[in-house]
Amino acid sequence: MLQYILLRLVRWIPGVILLMFIVYALMFFGGGDPVQIMFSREATDLFMPGNPRYEAVKEQLGLNRPFLVQFGDYLWKMLHGDFGMALTDGRPVARTLAAATPITISIALAASAIIAIVGIPLGVIAALNQNHWADNLILGGALFFWGIPTFVMAPLLMVLFCLELNLLPVPRGWHGVFDVNSIIPLTVAALRPMALVIRQARSAVLDVLSEDYIRTARAKGLPEWVTIIKHALRPVLTPVVTQMGVVMTNLLAGSLLLEIVFGIPGIGKLIRDGILNNDYSVLLGCTFVVLALVTLTNLLVDITYPILDPRLRSTQKGAE
Amino acid sequence: MTQISHNSLSETAQEEKAIGIWKDSFDRLLKNKMAVVSMVVVSIMFFFAIFGPYLTPYDFLAQNLELRSQAPSAQHWLGTDYLGRDVLSRVIYGARTATLVSLLVVLISSVIGVLVGSISGYFGGKLDFFLMWFTDLNMAFPNLVLGVVMAVSLRPPVSRWMESMFLKTQNPVFRQSSLLDLALVVIVIVAVAWSPYARVLRSQVMAVRNYNYVTAARALGLSTFTIVTKYIIPNAIGPVIVQMSAGMGSAMLTESAFSFLGIGINPPIPSWGNMINEGLRQWTSAPYLLAAPAVVLGLMTVSFSFLGDGLNDALNPKQWKG
Amino acid sequence: MTRLIQNNGRGNIMGETLLQVTNLTTRFHSRGNLIHAVNGVSFKIDKGETLGVVGESGCGKSVTMLSMLHLLPPAARVVAGTAFFHDKDLLKLNSREMQRIRGNHIGMIFQDPMTSFNPVLTIGDQVGESLIYHNISNRAGAEKRVIELFRMVGIPDPEARLKDYPHQFSGGMRQRAMIAMALACEPELVIADEPTTALDVTIQAQIVEVVKDLRDRLGIAIIWITHDLSLVAGLADRIMVMYAGNVIEEATTEDLFDQPTHPYTLGLLAALPAFQASKNSKRLSSIPGSPPDLRAEPTSCPFLPRCSYAINRCAIEMPLAHEIPGNGSTPHSVACFVNTQERITVQ
Repeated sequence: MLQYILLRLVRWIPGVILLMFIVYALMFFGGGDPVQIMFSREATDLFMPGNPRYEAVKEQLGLNRPFLVQFGDYLWKMLHGDFGMALTDGRPVARTLAAATPITISIALAASAIIAIVGIPLGVIAALNQNHWADNLILGGALFFWGIPTFVMAPLLMVLFCLELNLLPVPRGWHGVFDVNSIIPLTVAALRPMALVIRQARSAVLDVLSEDYIRTARAKGLPEWVTIIKHALRPVLTPVVTQMGVVMTNLLAGSLLLEIVFGIPGIGKLIRDGILNNDYSVLLGCTFVVLALVTLTNLLVDITYPILDPRLRSTQKGAE
Repeated sequence: MTQISHNSLSETAQEEKAIGIWKDSFDRLLKNKMAVVSMVVVSIMFFFAIFGPYLTPYDFLAQNLELRSQAPSAQHWLGTDYLGRDVLSRVIYGARTATLVSLLVVLISSVIGVLVGSISGYFGGKLDFFLMWFTDLNMAFPNLVLGVVMAVSLRPPVSRWMESMFLKTQNPVFRQSSLLDLALVVIVIVAVAWSPYARVLRSQVMAVRNYNYVTAARALGLSTFTIVTKYIIPNAIGPVIVQMSAGMGSAMLTESAFSFLGIGINPPIPSWGNMINEGLRQWTSAPYLLAAPAVVLGLMTVSFSFLGDGLNDALNPKQWKG
Repeated sequence: MTRLIQNNGRGNIMGETLLQVTNLTTRFHSRGNLIHAVNGVSFKIDKGETLGVVGESGCGKSVTMLSMLHLLPPAARVVAGTAFFHDKDLLKLNSREMQRIRGNHIGMIFQDPMTSFNPVLTIGDQVGESLIYHNISNRAGAEKRVIELFRMVGIPDPEARLKDYPHQFSGGMRQRAMIAMALACEPELVIADEPTTALDVTIQAQIVEVVKDLRDRLGIAIIWITHDLSLVAGLADRIMVMYAGNVIEEATTEDLFDQPTHPYTLGLLAALPAFQASKNSKRLSSIPGSPPDLRAEPTSCPFLPRCSYAINRCAIEMPLAHEIPGNGSTPHSVACFVNTQERITVQ
């Protein structure tokens, strides 16, 4: 088991480092001069290349070192929780991230819970009514919401529920998952990736229902609900859990837009501020958090496999 | 003993394959109502993308500061925005932006994906391992986040390059910021959109590679290039078409997301994304400014996903159950 | 029907009819086509009797059995017939009543023991669960019974194997577990659908021995479906040969091997090494051609295109089963217009 987890880590960690490298290189070579960005609000001519004050700042920040050294240094410090300073306000990026990350994570977790609780049963219902109206409705609905971008769904729901129907307050900011203000953001966050789970659950149930062992279960005279719940749903969980990595990817991408629309101070909002201020110190930190969250989810999914599927736990014991 | 049906089924399936798998697929597609409706919607959009600018009642850039933020009326069916521009004309021009970007993205990324996928699948080994590791990596991480980083950091070098091209050629094209926007958006989306094609193609290659007829072709001494182009790629066309349809929708979605974030197509050139962003500023007072581009964008992306789904059912009929 | 006493070395069991199937007809719908899978099959099986059902794949032998148990895939429909199990017509039961019969009174053994077990549940759980849901025993009782069953079918170390998953069992052990599963509720009838086809030859023989032994000890009736005539030769009391959804010959085992009558049966026997027509021939004979297209409504003898005995009548009319004189204790019936026996003696 430990070996299995280590193998998975070996698969993911180089990926994160490679992507960090790409992002760092992009920022390093294309992101503009950090010193100029830092002092963009002050007298800029003082901080032009050649000016002794400019050179002093550059030297002090270690920006004259070769690219690879700077990248290694960044990684090393990052491992110790130091993400450097924000270029614009000079605050430690780590502290900003520490404030924003829990919000994004709680949205992602709450949305995942909604997706699992609503999406899996819907997928199962669709499969059990294959090609009947319930199936068409669920699949059509899933496809429909999958097609609507987060930043379209969010304002449209706001117009509908807050403006036209006047049912809910206009959501602004973040007051925790269990707040009336969170209803619309969480719905929006969950709706789009839910399509992934619904479709995966449906096709997995259909696959399983045509398996021989379902016929065996029926041949044993088990009641239909036992056949479905015990024999069909257990094997379905594996492919559905697999999908959670993709769901998380989508949730994080969605949160970027969601947080901007609703003014939620999470990672998405930070990224947006980073873009506006050209603050690539913040952008790098945010990218790392997103990469880490996706990796963590995928690792958790990998670890869940053997729990769900005994075939991965051990090999054949006795022979004839 | 469902073999009965399977046996006779597979025979009929083979016969029909010989008659014309494309016609068969097309017939199946026409039976899918949602796919047909989506095809109509998509065709209408293509029509407006090509001829739209000649049909619109107003110039999409024309400002009328006396008629700012007007509600929909007989003169302006969808109202006017905060600069008094006609929203309908801008929405129609947005179709051109969206179509141009997504077509370019789909064409370029499918070529890249097909290349990577077929190389990876055909040669196998370490190259395959590395390429697929990278493809999976690309797919696993949120394209929007990586795209944002790319869009922000590629802009300065690309604009520097365009400036130098202008100085060299004196061609005013290189000074157009809209061209810069377009090029950047396409590059960034392609960079995050090619991976599904590579995955699809590789799995097709892996499936076909071991078929007897490919082994036979290899035994006959045909070159790898011939085998890939003659035997493998034609087999993969169905799934690639399905992916392209889904890719159109998601490219359109990503373009508007970037434009929405202010790092894609920038105003005054209309993109549904930047119109939604502008509309969001006054959504309580003028919700139609937000609703018009949002509904059109939603309609398009939904249509593409239904069309992709219909194509998938029509071209990859996995479950012909007897 | 005359009630006859079976004597095959396991004591006398009264020939009381357990299952009587009459004119069973099943059709499949497939992409606009109607597939005539089973066309009016009739047969019966007595208590404690073993019936071998022989035919090539696609001849409707499994569909016949699945039809009776309401286990057909959704595209299939039983369109006619009755299947009386004791005094109940299985085809008229609703799904609840059918559930009470399946597993409880009629057990099934499937072909592929790998795919027929749920990979994520333990073997012990799957073998014992029918006891729980048929209200025969509680969880602890079921476990005890599973251990007992495992001993009976020859699975070593049953207490430990109970908690194993299907992938931890070898093919032969899995099939033994499947037999245990079918026997869990002490059914009166076990339908074995090619239970040895997926196994190695040596293990096949072991499984046949296990089943024989259990049959003799428990006195259950068995319907053994196979495409291998030689396999049921030593096992079945009676053999029923099926072709293209029809029963074409039925006789006691000895009678069928002594006096094979239908051209298809002759062909099947000729294909067995031990029954080679000419001892000198180096090659096994085979039946030329392939089974008919089941999409067409059968109007002539389905075997006609492959038959070397065919006469004009075979192309116009569908031959029905009729009795012919035989030495067996039950009637020998055959669906053919030609008296192949005479032809053979003439030759």
